[in-house]
Amino acid sequence: MTRESGEAMDERIHQIREGIAAGRFPAHVFNDQEIFDLEQERLFNKAWCFLAHETEIPEPGDYVTRYIGNNNLIVARDEHGGVHASLNMCRHRGNMMCKSEMGNASHFRCSYHGWVYKNSGELIGVPYMAEGYGGALKRKDWGLKKARVESYAGLVFGTFDEDAPSLEEYLGGFQFYLDLYLKQGLAGSEVHGPPDHWITETDWKIAAENFSGDGYHTPVAHQFGFNLGYFPSSGATHSQGWAASIPGKGHGIGLGHTPGMVPFSGFPDELADEMRQSFTPEQIEVFSNTRTAVGTVFPNLSFLMQPFSLVPGEPGVRFVTMRLYHPIGPGRSEMYSWCLVPKDASQEYKDAAYQAYTLAFAQAGTFEQDDLENWARVTRMAKSTMARDIEFPYMMGMDAVQDPEFPGPGHVVKPYVNDSNFRNLWLRWADYLTGEV
Amino acid sequence: MVMLSTVDRRVQEDIREVMYREALALDERRFRDWLGFLTDDITYDVPLRVVREDLAEWELSPNGRIFQDNRQTLEVRVRRLETDFAWAEQPPSRTRHYITNVLIDATENENEYEVNSSCFIYRSRGDSIDPNLLSVARKDLIRRTDDGYRLARRWAAIDQAVINAHNLSIFI
Repeated sequence: MTRESGEAMDERIHQIREGIAAGRFPAHVFNDQEIFDLEQERLFNKAWCFLAHETEIPEPGDYVTRYIGNNNLIVARDEHGGVHASLNMCRHRGNMMCKSEMGNASHFRCSYHGWVYKNSGELIGVPYMAEGYGGALKRKDWGLKKARVESYAGLVFGTFDEDAPSLEEYLGGFQFYLDLYLKQGLAGSEVHGPPDHWITETDWKIAAENFSGDGYHTPVAHQFGFNLGYFPSSGATHSQGWAASIPGKGHGIGLGHTPGMVPFSGFPDELADEMRQSFTPEQIEVFSNTRTAVGTVFPNLSFLMQPFSLVPGEPGVRFVTMRLYHPIGPGRSEMYSWCLVPKDASQEYKDAAYQAYTLAFAQAGTFEQDDLENWARVTRMAKSTMARDIEFPYMMGMDAVQDPEFPGPGHVVKPYVNDSNFRNLWLRWADYLTGEV
Repeated sequence: MVMLSTVDRRVQEDIREVMYREALALDERRFRDWLGFLTDDITYDVPLRVVREDLAEWELSPNGRIFQDNRQTLEVRVRRLETDFAWAEQPPSRTRHYITNVLIDATENENEYEVNSSCFIYRSRGDSIDPNLLSVARKDLIRRTDDGYRLARRWAAIDQAVINAHNLSIFI
């Protein structure tokens, strides 16, 4: 990027930011090479990016390979239980160290010239060290490039930004809402298995926005669900609930509520009892009346909890899906989708929740199928030359005032059908893209 | 010496024909008819594939699934396709299931046959010039019933670990 075009780009981002505050957002950003490049440089290399759930790597030596931006990382648990994220690139000539998605290894040995690293990233073995390098090479200077790693309630995040605030500050109070997904019962949540991941011609931002609380699309995009009798709410009552967002942080969650719903419905009784112990009184007040909870941790980690039955009209179980929208090109993403289950639940409940999840979400899920179809079309149209002059309306709920009775943190407005979370999301995105963060 | 199947050649021919007719029902989008090929207790699984080292205990997740269906949930999927709101299939995918390398072996149950096959699925959507291509290993169980041969188990592992299809709103 030349200096001039860089300045023009900065000006464009400032204009976009002003537009968001006024309730408008441009179409073209959902499929734009320059925006993608800027996101890679200024957003994904600076934000706290989700790497793994701790239960994916429970034992010493366990590892998974994941990404921060376009950087492939080995995320491993060392012999003392600490979690490390190291760039999966040998410091000698750059070969990819680890070629599998998951496994267990105390060391990684490069298949090119044989440099050996501990799973913590420390260089410990160099062939022909004395004969080749004499005393010129110090092992401690040539470890794998490390990312900072911090975690919250089982979620491991990483960043390459030495100056980034702590993860706690980055989450900024959103933990209150994340607990619904992460602390299902006293022992917390665990992954049911490895994630499904697949490539889709969808810009990551479309999915991140949708999952930050798009209650508006559900009655239409998932109309078949209402048609078959799946939902405990009808299209008419569906909009009830709250949109909660953390101002200045970008995180947001939609909390759908069905009038008259049984508190914690869809959870087994013993799990509901545990949650009454593990949650704060404020969390209990919010969560016990939540039917659907769909939220995004800025920038691209999302969650959904929803009661669902295999056969329409039956009571159903709660499933939780956690998803990561990994950008691999403008308008192109690798979708990761996990199912989280309560550790303390019976195997029978975990299996039922997982089966409900596979029927509804991930690549073959009946609800996700329709989202992915719509999102691929949005992405395609966003590349039209005319889309460069088109803005979308984001003014829903502009004048909504804070719900004074809601006990949770952040900016909280009614109803669940609202653009409030999206404005907050895109304002934060613009903050990063200006280079000011 | 290669061990050949002990299953009667005529039976093998019949089962192979059922497999082809089942594939044709899918490709002609006769999903209600397709349900008729399945037993009431069918298990329908597409396991998750994970890129692992050669010595790893598994490459197909023991409990991770892309599809984990039974007769009831397959019925739901078909009912969904019969509504006017299954956007993922509007307009519908054009699929072709190419079934080859069909091997039919006897099991301990004289009415059931283990059927290994390779299945190549071509899927075209809308005006896209980029079809989805799925190479699949199937290990099915075919049961002889009073109503003819029925599919009692579909187990289908996709060879590609990261699948470049935006969704799987089709049957495997």
